[in-house]
Order: sequence, then structure tokens, then C-alpha cells
Amino acid sequence: MSLLEIRGLTVAYPGKHGDVLAVDGVDFSIGKGEFVGLAGESGCGKTTMAMAIPNLLPRNARITAGSVVFDGADLTTMDEDGLRTVRWNEISVVFQGALNALNPVHTVGSQILEPIRVHDRGTSEAEARSRMEELLEAVGIPAGRAGDFPHQFSGGMRQRVMIAMALACRPQLVIADEPITALDVMTQAQILDLLRSLCDRYGLSMLLISHDLSVLAQTCDRVAVMYAGRIVETGPAGRVFGSDEHHGGARHPYTQRLLRAYPNIRRERVFIEGIPGYPPDLTQPQSGCRFRARCDLAIDKCAEEPTLVDVGGDHRAACWRLDQAVTS
Amino acid sequence: MPPLLRRILVLLVSLFAIVTFNFFLFHVIPGDPIRLIARTQKLAPDQVEKLRQSFGLDGSLIEQYFRYLSNLLHGDLGYSFSLKEPVSDVIGRALLNTLILLTVSTIIVVVVGIMIGVFAGSRHGKKADSATVVTSLIFWSLPTFWVGMLLVFTFGVWIGGLPISGITTPNAVYHSGIDYVMDVARHLILPTITLAIVDIAFFIIITRTSLVDVMGEDYMLTARGKGLTRRTMVWKHGFRNALLPVLTASVLYISALVAGAIQVEVVFSWPGMGLLTYNSVLARDYPVLEACFLVTAIVVLAANFGADLVYRRLDPRVAVNT
Amino acid sequence: MTSDQAAQGIDDIEYEKPPSNWTLLWGDRMGRWGIIILVVVTVLAVFGPMIWPFDPAAVGEDSSSIFQPPSSAHWLGTDELGRDVFSQFLMGARISLFVGIMATLIATVIGAGIGVMAGFFRGPVDSAAMGVTDFFLVVPALPLMIALAAIFGQNLLIVIIVIGALAWPRTARIVRSQTLSLRERQFVPRARSLGASNARIIRTNITPHLLALIVANTILVVAGCILAEATLSFIGLGDPNRISWGSMLHFGFVSGAVGRGAWWYFLPPGLGILVVVLGFTLVGQSFERVTNPKMRGGA
Ligand SMILES: Nc1ncnc2c1ncn2[C@@H]1O[C@H](COP(=O)(O)OP(=O)(O)O)[C@@H](O)[C@H]1O
Ligand SMILES: [Mg+2]
Repeated sequence: MSLLEIRGLTVAYPGKHGDVLAVDGVDFSIGKGEFVGLAGESGCGKTTMAMAIPNLLPRNARITAGSVVFDGADLTTMDEDGLRTVRWNEISVVFQGALNALNPVHTVGSQILEPIRVHDRGTSEAEARSRMEELLEAVGIPAGRAGDFPHQFSGGMRQRVMIAMALACRPQLVIADEPITALDVMTQAQILDLLRSLCDRYGLSMLLISHDLSVLAQTCDRVAVMYAGRIVETGPAGRVFGSDEHHGGARHPYTQRLLRAYPNIRRERVFIEGIPGYPPDLTQPQSGCRFRARCDLAIDKCAEEPTLVDVGGDHRAACWRLDQAVTS
Repeated sequence: MPPLLRRILVLLVSLFAIVTFNFFLFHVIPGDPIRLIARTQKLAPDQVEKLRQSFGLDGSLIEQYFRYLSNLLHGDLGYSFSLKEPVSDVIGRALLNTLILLTVSTIIVVVVGIMIGVFAGSRHGKKADSATVVTSLIFWSLPTFWVGMLLVFTFGVWIGGLPISGITTPNAVYHSGIDYVMDVARHLILPTITLAIVDIAFFIIITRTSLVDVMGEDYMLTARGKGLTRRTMVWKHGFRNALLPVLTASVLYISALVAGAIQVEVVFSWPGMGLLTYNSVLARDYPVLEACFLVTAIVVLAANFGADLVYRRLDPRVAVNT
Repeated sequence: MTSDQAAQGIDDIEYEKPPSNWTLLWGDRMGRWGIIILVVVTVLAVFGPMIWPFDPAAVGEDSSSIFQPPSSAHWLGTDELGRDVFSQFLMGARISLFVGIMATLIATVIGAGIGVMAGFFRGPVDSAAMGVTDFFLVVPALPLMIALAAIFGQNLLIVIIVIGALAWPRTARIVRSQTLSLRERQFVPRARSLGASNARIIRTNITPHLLALIVANTILVVAGCILAEATLSFIGLGDPNRISWGSMLHFGFVSGAVGRGAWWYFLPPGLGILVVVLGFTLVGQSFERVTNPKMRGGA
């Protein structure tokens, strides 16, 4: 059984012309110890979907349909008290824009200690402290700097602190929302390696979000690609990225364009191809395949809603032109 | 240079600026202050002599300035012809009374203002918040002296029950120190309420706006994600940060408080610096007026310095960097 | 969505005319109330004294006419000299508004001027200007106003100048920081590279972008200036020959109207001040909210 089962999740923001469905009927799951990547251009609803899991959505957002079953309990119907015991204790988050995710007036040490004190009541003060120091060392920060304030650290170091904090209560699932976006390339690679190795060491599951597929290719067991509030392709990383010789690689035209749109994180590619056009304006009602306005392969049929179909080995894509997409 | 030393230097420079400014205001701009006073006062010859001495009017402007400085350093603030006393004696008593009034009301204003401000700010966009904002704006639009007049009317004329004038009951016989303190405390009630009503509104608005800004910060989402209770979120993470802009606005608050105190003292005849200022204006007693302005300005300067020190303690970014 | 539709969507965004500030202001509940208040008070202040039959300065004939409660002839009764309170109230509205607005104009000219200069030229000009600004920010305003009014004497012009000359520091600070950030934007270096003079850059590239900020701030300053006038007059430092709400309260206070329970004398001017100051505060805050995109999202 998976650790997390999302079924038909729909999240709406109020918009000028009615609801904006930032997440529109998404099915998604994460297994125990699994490392899952979520990709898609900015504005596709990745953050909204991720924040819907521990119910950390902005105040104007509403979950209008679906369920988020975590460890057997539906989090969408849980009350605030129940959610508080799940947050950080079971599901922790490394937030997008994490440079301001640390409170400037408290020391990093006390910020790491805080969730331990709140959730692991039985822990003694000395135990908590030694765990905090251990975590700092694990992310490569000398324990002696626990008394320093966030502004005394560089961006990469602050992100390391965030990771240490995310692991403080040994959660089952860590959600990392664009954890490396604001960092320089060298630091990006280090942080990714750190995330992967720590989660492996503690046996945690991870949901890693990035608009850059190549980041996920390096780190994840499985990936999902999101477009305009829907998941358009999902499968084992090896199959989707085609590193697995016999299984073609990405099948959805959007995934293919996305793969060509970013340079590889470690091997710089010479040629980067942007995707022409913009994601659809979600304030307008959507129908059919959301990508068809930007798709070279679009036909009349694409005005109908495509569903995810299995293309072999747990690799699924939602596209009417899968036959064409293989060869293009 | 260590930050504290720099702050103290700035304080000294400001102090010097105030003193010099005061000299120009009262000794240079009016030309001959004696003539100015003679405009509205019938002066006996010995009074004129005392005035000339207290203004140090002989010699060049530079000489006058240095004599003025040296007098100040010796605590000599001149002579009040309306009260027939050295100004420094008069000021000493008045300052104490004003500080009592200001301390009590500041504590009330800060505590109540922060509680209500945090209450409203943490309910941003809800009914309780907008109701608090509108109410605060209304109270902030009230002229302090008029609030005082209404309270005098209510408790002096209409309902009665609370002293509306002075700092103690006239001709009262006290059996113990406690009696005396209780009498002063009773006299303090209405002036404090008057001062607090308007200034709390100001404090609420600043605290609330600041907290609303802070609640939108990334680290507040982190706090929520950590599974903290609302209370911990709001106070430990939100308020601690919201306090910084509140402290930055303390210049405005201190100025408003002093203005409020002057009005309150006039309305309730509270024998402090404000009433002294008022009476010296009515009597055109310029040495007293001058000293009132100077001392008030210095106290305000010191208060701002104090607020700045607190700010530096509370914001780790400033404490380390400057 | 076809690419045609997509293009259409972009057109919509590009050409949708942004609503004017006044429309936004009227759409804001607090702003609307503020506007209504100010319009009503302005009409009263301008036309009231022309219509109301009593001369505010006409003293009553004998002692029976003093401190008379409201009647059908004297809607707000009479004062300690038997003068009609309602006509004083109307006249007082005029003077209070006039002093408040004139003092604000002075403050805005000084404050905006210093702020723009400091922000635009930076360096020593900035340090000097901000040194002076901070000095006046720290000097307690009311005691200084009292001192100045006591030294210079009492007439309307001096009251206006004294209030205006002390109400500018906050404007200067706000304008300066906005100018600093405007200066950093792309168009200033570009204008300079095209050979524009400083004066021209300030006129065409800086000032227009400051306008909304200055207007919002100005409206808020009026509120403060009206309160300052009322306070000065209450202390007895207003123009003795003019009736303002503050001076009404001064005479009400010294003549013992409070002790006599002559509420018709001391309630109306205070309410007048409250309502006008509230009106300006509401409009100013609302204007700030609707013109400042950062705050418009409802942070
Ligand atoms: N607080 C919000 N209020 C209204 N709309 C929002 C809000 N947050 C996100 N959205 C909208 O929801 C969509 C998805 O946003 P988001 O989940 O942040 O995407 P991503 O993380 O993929 O960039 C976007 O169209 C965005 O405009
Ligand atoms: Mg995002």
C-alpha cells in the first residue's frame, strides 16, 4: 500500500470569472521510501497540489473534490487539531522561496528545536539539542553555528538549515517545493545530493517539485508532469527520461518539449529550446487537452478530454497522439 | 566604531543641535526678548534687571551663546517672573508629574494597543479586523483635549465620582503614604484614560498593519507547516517580527504622546510640563516657556534613543551588522 | 483554446483600461464614506455661513441671552456672550478646513521638495536633507508649535505657517525613499543617456510617478494639520479674531461651559473636528490602498 494516495483532487482559487482550478481532478500516489518528482512550467499548479497534502493552502483556496489519504487517514476531512499532529511530525515541507522561510529573529538552532519540542514531547531537552546538532552536522553545518541567525548564512546554507529542520521529527514524507531554484548551479547539485542521501539514510519518502525535468531525472524514482492543473504523464524516471534503452522515453508532447527546454543540470547542453506560447489562462474555463493550443501535433480530437493511458511498465500519458509522439 | 558608541555620538550631536536650535528660537529670532515680553507685561525695573540677567543679553551673539551654554551646563535655566522662582525648580516638579502620567499611560497604551492590534492583525480580512480598524480610525481622529472635556463633563458634572482636576485633593489630610498614593492614583484615572483612548488607537493601527504584513511572510507558512498552534504562530513568529516596525514608528508615537500629555494636563490641571507650558504661554513667561520646550525636547530625544536601543536588541540583523 | 483565442486573451489584458483612482476610491467602502463626509462638510463650510441668518460675532443683548440651550431660533443655543453657536460652528468649519489645507500645501511643497532633492541627488545633499528631516522628526511638534506661535504672535497666517513648517518631515522621508527607487529604474539612466538635464528628468521621469503617493500622503497630512490647528487654538494660540472649532472649544473651556453643562457649546465643534479628520483619514488611507499595487492585493 502506498504511503500517500491522492484521488480526484481538485483545488480552486476564486478568480475574476469564477473558480480557477489550479489542480483539476488529479490522481497521484507516493509509496513508502519512494522518491517522486513533479514537473511542469510555473503556474501549472505544482505548489497548489503539494500544499494541499498537509492542507497548507492559502486562505482563499478551497479543496472542492477528492481525497488525500495519508497513512490510512483522509487529510482533507481532518480538523486543524488532527492536522497539527500530522504536520512536520509526518509530513514536512521545504518551501519554495526558502530564503525567507526561516524566521529572521530566532536562531537557526531554536527553529530546528521547535518542532521537536512540539511534536516529540517525550524528548528531553538534552536529547532534543543533541538531535538538532546531529541534524546540522548531517546537512554539513558545524553544530557550533546553531546560535547564529538566518541572515548570517548564505542562501545555500539556509537551504541546508531548512532541510535539517524538515528532518527534525523524522517525518514519513518530505515535500520539497523547488528547493534549489534560487541557488547557484554548484549549490543546486550539492543540495540535491544531500536531499537524496538523507532521505535514503532515514528511509523517507519525498515529493520533489521542480520546473526543470533534468533535476528530477537525476534524483527521482518516479516522475509526474503537470500541465494546467492536470497530470499529463507519469512513470518510472528511467522510462520517462528514456535512459532505459528499450522504452522510448517521454510520450507526451509537452514532456518532450519540457525536456528540451532546460539544460541538463550537470552536463550543460549547448542548445536550449523554449516552448512557444504560454500555459493557458486558468481564469477561463478549460476543456479538452489543455496543451493543444501550443502543440504541433494537435488535431480536432484533442478538443476532447484525454485520459491517462498505460503505455507499458506503469508509464502513463494523457494524449490522443501517442502514436505520433513516439516518433517525433 | 562599536554601534553603541556611534549611537551615543549621534545622541550627543542631536542634543547639541536641540540646544543650539533652542538658543536661536528664543534668543535670536525674537530680537530683544525683553521688548517682546514688555509687549504684554507690565514689568517693574527689578524684573527687567532679572530678565536681562536670565537672558544674558549683553555682549555679542557669540558671547551670549557661550554664556547660554555655560548656564545650561550649570543647570541654570533662568528666572520665572510670573512664579518668582528659578525656572529649574519649577521644571523639576513639573517634569516628575508629567513622567508619572506618561509612564502609566505608556504602559497601558503599549499593552492594550498590542493586544488589540495583534487580535485584529491575526484576523486579517475578517469582520473583527475591519471593525477594529474602523473603530481605531475614529478614536485616532478625536482631538485629545476634547475627549478630556467630555470626561470632565461626564465625571465632573453629569455622573460625578472621579476627581477632574489636579494631582491631589486640595487640603487633604493623609494618614499614611498609601493614602497619598491612592489619592494621586485616583486623580490619575481620567487623565490616563483620555491620553490612552487616542494613543491606543494609534498603537493598534500600527501593530495591526505590521502584523498583517508579517503574516504574509514565508516564515509564517513554515510556522504553520510545523504544526504550531495559532497562538504560538501569531506571538512567537508573527508578533516578534511585527514589533520591529512598531518600534520604528515610536518616533511618531512619542511625539503624539507628548502632544497628548500637554492637552490632558491643561484640561485636567495636572501640574506637569504641559500645564506649565500652557501657563507660561498665558503669562508670556518666556524663560519658563523656553525651558519647557528645551526639557521636553531632551526627554523626547532620550526616549527615542531608548526605543532605538530596544530595537537593536530585538532585531538580530541590526545588532550584528552595524 | 486555439492560438487565435490565445492572442485574443493577450489583447484583453493589454488593452483593458485600468480604472481611474477615483473609481477605485469610490469602490472602496472606507474611501466612499470619506468622500461623502468631506463633500458634506465642504458644502456646509462654504455655503453655510452665507445662508444661516445669525452673525457669529453678534453678542447677546443681556444676561438672559447667554448659555441658552438649543431652540428653534438658535439651533445650537448660545455661548457665554450670547452669540449664536450654530453660526460659529459653520464659520469654524471654514477656518478649520482653510487652515488645515493651507498648512498642508506648505508642508507638501517643503516635504516633497526636500524628499525629491535628497532622493535624486543622493550623497551629501541627501545626508544633509535627511539630517534636518530627522531633527524635525525628533523635535516634539506641539511644544515647538506652541513656542513659535508664542514668539511670533497670533494671526491666521502665522498659525498656518507654523503648522505647515512642522508637518513636512514624514512627507520628505516617504518621497525620498520612493524617489530613490524610481531613480534606480531603467528609465532614468536612459533619459540621462539621451542628454536630459536633471531638472527635466525630475519633471518628466520622477514627479509624475510620485503623484499618487504625494496625493495620498497629502490627504493624510490635512487630517493632522486640522488637529494641530484645533489644539493650538484650544491652547489659546489661534487667531483671536477668527472663529475656528478649536477656538470655540477654547472659549467653551475657559468660560466654564463644561461646568455649566452647556453641551451644545462644546459637543458640536469636537464632533466637527472628529468627522472632518476622520473623513480625510479614510480618504487618505483608502487612496493609499487603491493606488499602491503592493497593498492592493490585500497582503
Ligand atoms: N493564492 C492564490 N490566489 C489565487 N490564485 C492562485 C494563488 N496561488 C496560486 N494561484 C494560481 O493557481 C495556479 C497554480 O499556481 P501554483 O500552484 O503556484 O503553480 P506552480 O507551483 O506550478 O508554479 C496559477 O495560475 C496561479 O495563478
Ligand atoms: Mg510553485
